[in-house]
Amino acid sequence: MSNEVRLQVKNVCKSFGITKAVQNVSFNINKGEVHALIGENGSGKSTLTNMLTGIYPIDSGIFILDGKEIHPKNQIEANNEGVSIIVQELGTLSGLTVAENIFLGHEDRFVKAGIKNTNAMNKEADALLKKYGFERIKAAHMIDEYNFEDRKLVEIVKATYFSPKIVVIDETTTALSQEGREELYKHMERIRNEGNSIIFISHDLPEILDKSDTITVLRDGVYIDTVKSKDMTEDDLKKLMVGREMTGKYYRADYGEKVSDEVVLSVKNVTVPGLIYDVSFDLHKGEILGFGGLSESGMHEVGKAIFGASFDREGSVTLADGTQINDIPTAIKNEIAYTSKDRDNESIVINQSIGDNICLPSLGKLGSGPLKLLSDKKLRAFSDKYAKEISVKMVNTDQFVSELSGGNKQKVVLARWIGRDSDIIVLDSPTRGIDIKVKQDIYQLMDQMRKDGKSIIMISEELMELIGMCDRILIMKDGKISGQLDRNPDMDENSLISMMV
Amino acid sequence: MSSSMKTTEKKKLSGKAKGYLILIVLLVASWVIFKIATPGNFGSPKQMLQYFQASLLAATGAVGFYFVMVMGMFDFSIGANIVLSSILGCVLATNFGLGYVGFVVGSIVCGALVGLLNGAFYVKLRIPSMIVTTGLALIYEAVANYIAGGVEQTLPSDMRAFGSMPGNVILAVISFIVAYIFLNYTKVGTYTYAIGSNEFVAKNMGINVNKYKVIAFLISGAFFGVEAILSISYGSSMVAVTGMASMSRNFIPTMGCFFGMAFRKYGIPIQAIIIGEFVINIIFYGFIALGAPTAIQDVITGLALLIIITLTTRVDKGEIVK
Repeated sequence: MSNEVRLQVKNVCKSFGITKAVQNVSFNINKGEVHALIGENGSGKSTLTNMLTGIYPIDSGIFILDGKEIHPKNQIEANNEGVSIIVQELGTLSGLTVAENIFLGHEDRFVKAGIKNTNAMNKEADALLKKYGFERIKAAHMIDEYNFEDRKLVEIVKATYFSPKIVVIDETTTALSQEGREELYKHMERIRNEGNSIIFISHDLPEILDKSDTITVLRDGVYIDTVKSKDMTEDDLKKLMVGREMTGKYYRADYGEKVSDEVVLSVKNVTVPGLIYDVSFDLHKGEILGFGGLSESGMHEVGKAIFGASFDREGSVTLADGTQINDIPTAIKNEIAYTSKDRDNESIVINQSIGDNICLPSLGKLGSGPLKLLSDKKLRAFSDKYAKEISVKMVNTDQFVSELSGGNKQKVVLARWIGRDSDIIVLDSPTRGIDIKVKQDIYQLMDQMRKDGKSIIMISEELMELIGMCDRILIMKDGKISGQLDRNPDMDENSLISMMV
Repeated sequence: MSSSMKTTEKKKLSGKAKGYLILIVLLVASWVIFKIATPGNFGSPKQMLQYFQASLLAATGAVGFYFVMVMGMFDFSIGANIVLSSILGCVLATNFGLGYVGFVVGSIVCGALVGLLNGAFYVKLRIPSMIVTTGLALIYEAVANYIAGGVEQTLPSDMRAFGSMPGNVILAVISFIVAYIFLNYTKVGTYTYAIGSNEFVAKNMGINVNKYKVIAFLISGAFFGVEAILSISYGSSMVAVTGMASMSRNFIPTMGCFFGMAFRKYGIPIQAIIIGEFVINIIFYGFIALGAPTAIQDVITGLALLIIITLTTRVDKGEIVK
């Protein structure tokens, strides 16, 4: 690692509507270092690196790479400047071959007189795959033939074959098995030794401490500090990430309260082929039951399975009165609520008003007369009541949901189910991409619901909130429940992680 | 690791073979059913060759339309394009005395221009392609009617080389090869799939999405120009219909294109379009041989095609179909 500056981030800002995702962030990245970027979800890490790699336009501020200001408009321009990224989600395109994916946007090298030399392209891609030690992946095959992990390996090749000066690795490791991770670490080491730099985003603090040289901390879009990894402990990092003032009333404060013995929902031997296997558990009245695990552990599918939204589900989901939940209408009729991790696509009707979104599942109850006619006045009163009850930040309920920030969208989703007066609430990643203030609101709301005798299932990738909020945490691994932890003030992330991996 | 490699290798091989197998089964089944129903006047080798020649018309258009469909767009001006391009080609050849050159070049350039307009309007107006092309179809029909002067345009008998063997087969085969090269050996083909797969990611990869959408429409239009040549040569004349009557010509190329989409996963979309159009024509001619009333023909044809597409297209669970 040298002390020569490779990249200067200067006063970079980015807003989405009223949400300030990145505010006036400045720091430097040196040559030949692995520079970690950490912070809670929604702290602005991905937004910042997406601006650097041309995925988002910059609102204001500049990036200076090796003394030269860069303004990439897309990933290919960023590549040409010497910056590349391995994204959090799937970054390869279906319907194309492995080679076409690797060279997408750079195929001009293989085009002569308009005709693409597919053989030459495949040959070069095969050579690259061999050099990286991924011989089993074949350049000429369709990318669809490979699983998520292999496709990530293809992305590693795609992002690094041309020796970029900076490679951004955005939350990639959680998607990989230990074997895949080792491959990635190997290439991180190689890139570093070649004198190039890596911006490494991960939620895995031990991994951060082990693999990075320098760490920059962001919180709520604001730059907090840049520190040397060797001087830090996990606790130091956590303090920097969450901020001292956040302890106290953030999570639930109670310990040792007895959970009711009354079972409200019983899940028996539930299997969803390819996703979860033989999952069984009981949910009690007034309980917050947490599900933790890696993103691909199957925990997100558990929420869908309970709500009757899974395909080919086997096993049973039974309510206290014996009702079997096999489809979504039955689930809603029996006062089960579900909020998906994919808020914009699966929870919210984005091009509708706040009012419409809140009333949607309760329309059956709101109609009057034999024809169940709906009255605007009644709908408005209903949506106003619940939107105000959980203080959605809005002009009025006619405002479109698309104009709201992530946190407020989530509040609309919650208002909908509170309005429906659901008894069993399944929350998948309820605080994903939400700032600390709204998070606190949601935690307080959950606590209140619990006290009102509602039962909550909370599925989350954020271990701290599971520890802070749940009466009981079930850990998922490879589609199965791998362990259980009860609420306890001494519980820490390590005890969860050891069951997760 | 080597064993997993072998299985993928095997899977891939069997994929293509499986695709061809399904197509051939469909082909044979449709022949067998009508041969049993009406053995006397259907399905002799000579008749099969006729059906095949007739199927080439729509197949040439469909291989071009495939580019538009893969990107998730649609075109309702197919029939209007064929009518306009064939009438313009015919008028250039006869009234302007430009002969075969005027006929062929005129039809293909006209088709390409129609495609270019479709694409440009779609990209600039930012409204769904279905609506843009429906609106434009009315205009193309009117233009064709104006050029034809309201009169049926007949191709002189000495200019019908593309109406029968070998002219029609040669022109069709050239079209198929060109489409195949575009799809597999140019940037356009790669970008067509990339945009169809995820427009946002494609844009991030520096692909000028709008430009390639227009190119897709242009390619599609040019191939409908070829279909126009084959259509007027085969039928010897063309009427410049108005009031959306040209829409009836949309159906067969579109159905063939669905075959291409369905067999894309086997890696043989162009081949599937060609064989698929043949199957559709066998069914059509089968009904004619049966002498079934038109209404019943239409009902059964519609149902048969829906069944074929449903059986061959496997939609992933939870995938939204629009």
